[in-house]
Amino acid sequence: MQRRDFFKKSLVVAGTAAIGSSLEAASQPKTGQKISEVAFPQKRPMITYSDRPPLLESTRDVFASAITPNDQFFVRWHMPEIPTHIDLKEYRLKVNGEVEHDLSFTLDELKNDFEPVEVTAVLQCGGNGRSAFSPIAGGIQWGNGAVGNAKWKGARLRDILEKAGIKKGAHWIGFNGLDNAAYYKTPNFVREMHIEELDDHVIVAYEMNGEELPYLNGYPVRLIIPGYYSDSWVKMLSNLTLTTDYQKLFFMDVAYRVPDNETESEDPHSHKKIKTKPITTMNVKSMIGYPSNDTKVYFNSHVTVRGVAFDQGKGIKEVLVSIDKGKTWEKAILDDGKHGRYSFREFRYTFKPGAYGKQTIMSKAINKAGEEQPLAEEILWNHGGYKYNGIDTVTIEVV
Amino acid sequence: MYKFIIAAFLALTPLVAQEVKEDMAVPYISYEIKMGENFDTVQGQCLMCHSFGYIINQGPQSKAFWSGKVKKMKHAFGMDISDKDAVLVTEYLFKHYGNGKLK
Repeated sequence: MQRRDFFKKSLVVAGTAAIGSSLEAASQPKTGQKISEVAFPQKRPMITYSDRPPLLESTRDVFASAITPNDQFFVRWHMPEIPTHIDLKEYRLKVNGEVEHDLSFTLDELKNDFEPVEVTAVLQCGGNGRSAFSPIAGGIQWGNGAVGNAKWKGARLRDILEKAGIKKGAHWIGFNGLDNAAYYKTPNFVREMHIEELDDHVIVAYEMNGEELPYLNGYPVRLIIPGYYSDSWVKMLSNLTLTTDYQKLFFMDVAYRVPDNETESEDPHSHKKIKTKPITTMNVKSMIGYPSNDTKVYFNSHVTVRGVAFDQGKGIKEVLVSIDKGKTWEKAILDDGKHGRYSFREFRYTFKPGAYGKQTIMSKAINKAGEEQPLAEEILWNHGGYKYNGIDTVTIEVV
Repeated sequence: MYKFIIAAFLALTPLVAQEVKEDMAVPYISYEIKMGENFDTVQGQCLMCHSFGYIINQGPQSKAFWSGKVKKMKHAFGMDISDKDAVLVTEYLFKHYGNGKLK
């Protein structure tokens, strides 16, 4: 048994008391949402918050395995008009801007003219778990399932850009996809990345778990930026534009931002504008895939808890499980990590429930940098409800 | 005004095997929405770009929140709406999907 001290927690709480007197705590994200009766193309029926644009969430049971199946992978689009057919004869990925030669590639050229590389990486919406925040934060009230992990195969973004020749003054890469707004005036969902952030793990993927990408996940190619929240993983990627200066963009400058302070939090009752920063890299997190809140188990039977843990790529060190509401924690068994540092790590933990009635199970991930999942109650509020990573908790019934 | 999406749905056989060769149909889901004053304006404006699901799954929010959303749709996303109608839409949203708080 390992006892955790809570000095860290008290420090955090003491530090934030100075910011605002009425900060409210988060709780667990909502769970047990209704699965839609209607399936979307190439998907099984999922939790469906919207059909236009499609917003589909995975159910908890999906997180009992390291690899998320394509047909259960969450979906989040921003624009109402998404192509429902792509003709590969017409499709091109264009490279332009501050490059020596404007180039365009067919899907076949992306597959054949560049060294194929594979990376298994977690794709998570910055608003995953938003429903945990109180007062209710702005945006879709996602439960825990706006996240998934897949093995992506594609061409290195660097290789593609180098083929076009990166000019000396090029500092920013802009990404655009094929989705469209209903109004001309609506800004496109264009994202930008500083060229220094570009490493060899950033790929233009044409394969997801050994198959074509599902349409709703960005067919024929999408950007993969391991360790980063999914807002920059542009789907149906059609354009790479290099620029010398940062371009002002709605989806970079206004959306997907958190307060620019140490705790990335703000007072929900203050309406002052504060300085913000992009959400960028993911924090350490674990999720229990089995059991779920409606599970019943027999007294004294063997219950194997299964789940996944991940962070931004620093690497998961351990996952701890508590079956006594956080008083004591025990190490779960972690998988061998064969999918690499950007992937979900599977964990499992077996115990025998020794009392009838409600039984709470909690999981906490700790990464190699010593960062650990906080209790939900320790997570401070931000207006967009981003980056929730509270210790996951399920309550089952022992009969 | 509205953008017409020119769809080039060519019925050519692709050179490479493609799992989906035809036009995909994204299903319509009907979300239960509350009827009330100014609903027609809400329907005409909001449904241009997104489903009712997008509204109701924001959770109950303050008047300032809904007013901010309508302003964002107008100024950042280009919704073609008069100031008068923007107020009506805000009032509808706050009445039916509000949390009772002005701010």
